[in-house]
Amino acid sequence: MSFLPSCRDVSKHLSAALDSGRPLGMHVRLHLTLCEACRRVLAQFALIRHGAARAGEAGPSLSDAAKGRLRRFLQ
Amino acid sequence: MTEPETWVDAYGDRLFRYALSRVRDEGAAEDLLQETFLAAFKSRERFKGESSELTWMTGILRNKLFELYRRQAKETPLGSAVEDANPGSEFFDARHWKPALAPRDWGGEPARKAESAEFAAALRRCLEALSSGPARAFVLREMEGVAPEDAAETLGVSPGHLAVLLYRARMRLRRCLEKNHFAPESVA
Repeated sequence: MSFLPSCRDVSKHLSAALDSGRPLGMHVRLHLTLCEACRRVLAQFALIRHGAARAGEAGPSLSDAAKGRLRRFLQ
Repeated sequence: MTEPETWVDAYGDRLFRYALSRVRDEGAAEDLLQETFLAAFKSRERFKGESSELTWMTGILRNKLFELYRRQAKETPLGSAVEDANPGSEFFDARHWKPALAPRDWGGEPARKAESAEFAAALRRCLEALSSGPARAFVLREMEGVAPEDAAETLGVSPGHLAVLLYRARMRLRRCLEKNHFAPESVA
């Protein structure tokens, strides 16, 4: 596959494509047909994006001490 | 508009979680929340009820977050793309993935797994482990949906450096999630 971009280059192209919204180039697509690891990265980057959009919905609550401080601040 | 005395109980937890997921430090998240409530208090006469109070306050919180990032970028610049010229090198030999670090199969239905609370918690922990530059770039682009040129301006970096920071963030998040959530038993 030496005429094709390296796995490292492909991973950079995949990240850049997520940002630009532009389609992947032919050589990158051809690399993906031959490289399972890079296909996984493409899918995993997309999953991370999906999860990130929902980040902040779950997580710890304000502590009682912090709530007390904020209540006093607002009074 | 509701009475400010009720805001902590009504919105405190949700705004805190929003802030914490973006600044990764409870003290900083609490400070952002306090600034948000103060700004909301000062401008409450301008609230028209065109959105919910929570949406309105979340908008204020977002602006406070961007102000914080701009301050941090002035205090501690994130450097240049030239200084960050070799991102991802830890994952690759000359052309290919290092065998021990090559992406693993994340199992049958990763999309369904990604909807779980466990995934959200794992992503949060992995975000906490990122260094500040990649983390802020990721928050602005992937969590806040800020346009690339505006994200670069907020962080005080070039568009090219922003791309490097995002690449670094995605690669490390991917590895961290694999190691700690999706395929821990098969990761060296």
